[in-house]
Amino acid sequence: MSTSAADADAHDHGPGENKFELFVQLAMLLAVITGIEIITVYLPFASWLLITTLVFFSAVKFLFVIFIFMHLRWDKPFCTILFFIGLFLGGGTMWALLKLFGAAASFPLSSAGM
Amino acid sequence: MSTAAAGAIDHHHDPTTSTGIPNKKLLMWAFLASDCMFFGCLISTHLIYRLHPPPGVPAARDVFSIELTSFSTFILLMSSLMMALAVDAIQKGNVKSLRTSLLTTILFGSIFLGCQVYEFNNFVFEKHLTITNSILGSTFFTLTGTHGTHVAIGVLWLTLMYIRSFKPAGAEAARGTWLLLSFVHLVVFMATLGLSMYLVLHFARAAQAGGFGLHTCLHFGKVEYKAILGAIVGFLGVRWFALPRGPVDFDQRHAIDVEMMGLYWHFVDIVWIVIFTAVYLLEYIK
Repeated sequence: MSTSAADADAHDHGPGENKFELFVQLAMLLAVITGIEIITVYLPFASWLLITTLVFFSAVKFLFVIFIFMHLRWDKPFCTILFFIGLFLGGGTMWALLKLFGAAASFPLSSAGM
Repeated sequence: MSTAAAGAIDHHHDPTTSTGIPNKKLLMWAFLASDCMFFGCLISTHLIYRLHPPPGVPAARDVFSIELTSFSTFILLMSSLMMALAVDAIQKGNVKSLRTSLLTTILFGSIFLGCQVYEFNNFVFEKHLTITNSILGSTFFTLTGTHGTHVAIGVLWLTLMYIRSFKPAGAEAARGTWLLLSFVHLVVFMATLGLSMYLVLHFARAAQAGGFGLHTCLHFGKVEYKAILGAIVGFLGVRWFALPRGPVDFDQRHAIDVEMMGLYWHFVDIVWIVIFTAVYLLEYIK
């Protein structure tokens, strides 16, 4: 039988690391950041500042999840490189599409005179 | 397999492969990298076409409910925590803890899906935003629907892993019996999950229409008694399948399978982190 909690505690991953506490603390931090994001959209500041803040918070949450929950921090760097290749290609495609098509692209065809 | 012997397993490196990374993990990271491009296209398409809805179609801000979406986001974040704890548990050989964490992840994933079903229903029948009446609707439903499909596949995968954790040691001798039992277990589990979601969604609708009170509860119980009975029987069935029946063939050696599934589930969460900001929160900035 493989379910020995006593044995399990004796075999943690890294030297002196307790992932349980780390994961719980991270989840709480992510929940707090999400709360701050929701409050941010109602703040009376310039929209560019609010959008930059939201993008920053999203990026922080994203990086926390991939490096800690998804174990990239403990895995070989090749996993990080592989994932970031896809991420940069996806981000590049997004950037290119947003550059190529502006807000006018969403006008209904009839009102755009086409 | 004894846990003491398996304690030496290095879950992050595999010296038998040319890269030093377990092949299954490498496969999953390559798939997730490709999925980044897929979701990148869907999100940017929505960002381009979200403005200027045709006459008669509401703007995104008038349709969205930030309370519901925030709740969904919180639930998905917590499901990610439970998934991480599930991986941690099996890496330590703690199958009981793994099952509890998997069940909680399945529950949170199902709540997220329920919220999405409620949201879509509300958008289509009350806010009159459909997939065909505006390009905003097309891009919104395609993006969030694709994400929801990913969540649904994740819930199915989690359920299969949960059932797999009950495989008895030495089941190879009676492979047919184990497969048949697993299939019945899966059917009972999914039917119970589906019935529970159906009941919660219908109760939410009834409470929305008639208020949350004793009268609504009694009326709901009278109308839906068959589904309630079915769900209770289903829960008892799931509980029966979970009764301890001796040693199982599931331990630290299977941690890579759980970790692979965890990577997929966390990816679904990080995609939602981006969708929450780019699709929902963005609409509330004046």
